[in-house]
Amino acid sequence: MAAYRADDDYDYLFKVVLIGDSGVGKSNLLSRFTRNEFSLESKSTIGVEFATRSIRVDDKVVKAQIWDTAGQERYRAITSAYYRGAVGALLVYDVTRHVTFENVERWLKELRDHTDSNIVIMLVGNKADLRHLRAVSTEDATAFAEKENTCFMETSALESMNVENAFTEVLTQIYRVVSRKALDIGDDPAALPKGQTINVGSKDDVSAVKKVGCCSA
Amino acid sequence: MERKKIEEFEPGPVPPARPVDRFGFFVPEENNSSQGSIKNNSSQGSITKKVINEQEREERRIRKWRKMIGVGGSDWKHYVRRKPQVVLRRIRKGIPDCLRGLVWQLISGSRDLLLMNPGVYEQLVLYETSTSELDIIRDISRTFPSHVFFQQRHGPGQRSLYNVLKAYSVYDRDVGYVQGMGFLAGLLLLYMSEEDAFWLLVALLKGAVHAPMEGLYLVGLPLVQQYLFQFEQLVREHLPKLGEHFIEEMINPSMYASQWFITVFSYSFPFNLALRIWDVFLYEGVMIVFQVGLALLKFCHDDLVKLPFEKLIHALRNFPEDAMDPDTILPMAHAIKVSKRLEELKHEYRKKNEKPILRAESSSSPVAQKQFSGKCFSNSMIRSPSLEESSAQGTQPPATPRSWRGRRLLSRNSTKSRSVKE
Repeated sequence: MAAYRADDDYDYLFKVVLIGDSGVGKSNLLSRFTRNEFSLESKSTIGVEFATRSIRVDDKVVKAQIWDTAGQERYRAITSAYYRGAVGALLVYDVTRHVTFENVERWLKELRDHTDSNIVIMLVGNKADLRHLRAVSTEDATAFAEKENTCFMETSALESMNVENAFTEVLTQIYRVVSRKALDIGDDPAALPKGQTINVGSKDDVSAVKKVGCCSA
Repeated sequence: MERKKIEEFEPGPVPPARPVDRFGFFVPEENNSSQGSIKNNSSQGSITKKVINEQEREERRIRKWRKMIGVGGSDWKHYVRRKPQVVLRRIRKGIPDCLRGLVWQLISGSRDLLLMNPGVYEQLVLYETSTSELDIIRDISRTFPSHVFFQQRHGPGQRSLYNVLKAYSVYDRDVGYVQGMGFLAGLLLLYMSEEDAFWLLVALLKGAVHAPMEGLYLVGLPLVQQYLFQFEQLVREHLPKLGEHFIEEMINPSMYASQWFITVFSYSFPFNLALRIWDVFLYEGVMIVFQVGLALLKFCHDDLVKLPFEKLIHALRNFPEDAMDPDTILPMAHAIKVSKRLEELKHEYRKKNEKPILRAESSSSPVAQKQFSGKCFSNSMIRSPSLEESSAQGTQPPATPRSWRGRRLLSRNSTKSRSVKE
């Protein structure tokens, strides 16, 4: 992928996608992470939305370029193009609607069809604040995540619970993959060209990613 | 879940505690007039004078419009036939808000649909079930959530919106319900009754006057893809420097313009601008969406060409307030000639993508056919070739569903005589 220029300072730039059924809270997770905002009056997403935020991992600045996609099936004609080049994904379901968890499998397939198999995936059970309405148990989701070798966390964009952790974990994982890869080939990770999008999926990355594995926190 | 069409609003919902602008949108707390409130920056005395002058001018306009329309729209077709250019000019200046709902129904052809299909809407709302009901309900409170009419949970606004969307999803089962349709229906419901809004949606998507737009929502979103292709080419041709910059920064129109087409600017644009665009859109067709898009890019051109990827995306989703003034951007838009190129690009695109388009077309026909030949639809208005498509530009409408062709043609004097010039 070509270099994106930006005038703010960062060491790594990672492209991340937010996917999952309509109404599970993707846009609010994004606004909570990038602007620390939550809106009860938010509109349904039409097409795609975009936001960025930088975090610090070790002594490096890692910038996330996050694409938030419309959840309705019909929109995949547009949104699936945005999977290309993504090195991380948050696959979101709503803990109060079991069907959104059942659909996770299809989303995973969709993701794996369109991205490199080494993409870092975090399964996210959102709306965990609605305890009395819970329809998906933490155990079921954990088991599923282990089986599929993805990370897993429950979040609440409303209460700001675990949102930071979920994104940070994904970005850190990607960072570990990239820096390990750089070490493996005897490179100084800091010497990677500034402002370049790191593509974990490029061929020589494959082994590096597999060694890292995934957290099933 | 509401199954019943609610005809009578319950008395007196509590008046909103939050202030609203003249269209009924809540004014943001910082009061930065994002939804089209009037900006005042002159002194108090001149404001009063200006307001009085504006009021007088508005009253004169309304009188002219009333004369043009006649009682309940009785003179409209006659007037359009006799003075199409006057109508065009007046519509481009903006339809008076108090007549907007009626005029929209007249120019979109939905009035005729309504009259020819008595009882159909009620049937759809009351007796049919839709597989999209849950999807619709999920989005109801996410459609114009900052508007006073739609804000109240299960209030009249939300119920009307649900009814219209459900009815449409039954009427056209191939399209069903797709996110984005709610903004179209919502905008219409602020100016007309449920039943009127429903038929206007039908007129638009099935192509009563212009080319059908159901392809915006069909599986694969074929029309969205075509519009984005056309728009990208137009940007390169009309604004080559910006087009080049977009290529360098890897910006494509799906990143910023899908919403423009899918909701005809009703999703996130200032409401006063959206309404003025809709005035023209319903009369002249989708061309205005391309023109306004190009005009916005042109207006901000010198800034946009300097911006890197991320800032560019942000700028393309947040145009400055002065660019959003309808009296600035619409004249600019009308001055951009696109109709001929749009046609050519449409053919270019369809040639490139022949197979998928054909598939989408044929898959939509049989079901629709069955549906429309059923009892309650036997009076359906039919009109296959749109004005544009049967006009001198002479393009056959490949996207017209076959099911529409066999049906009785509604004579539409008003639209036949319409010749729209850019």
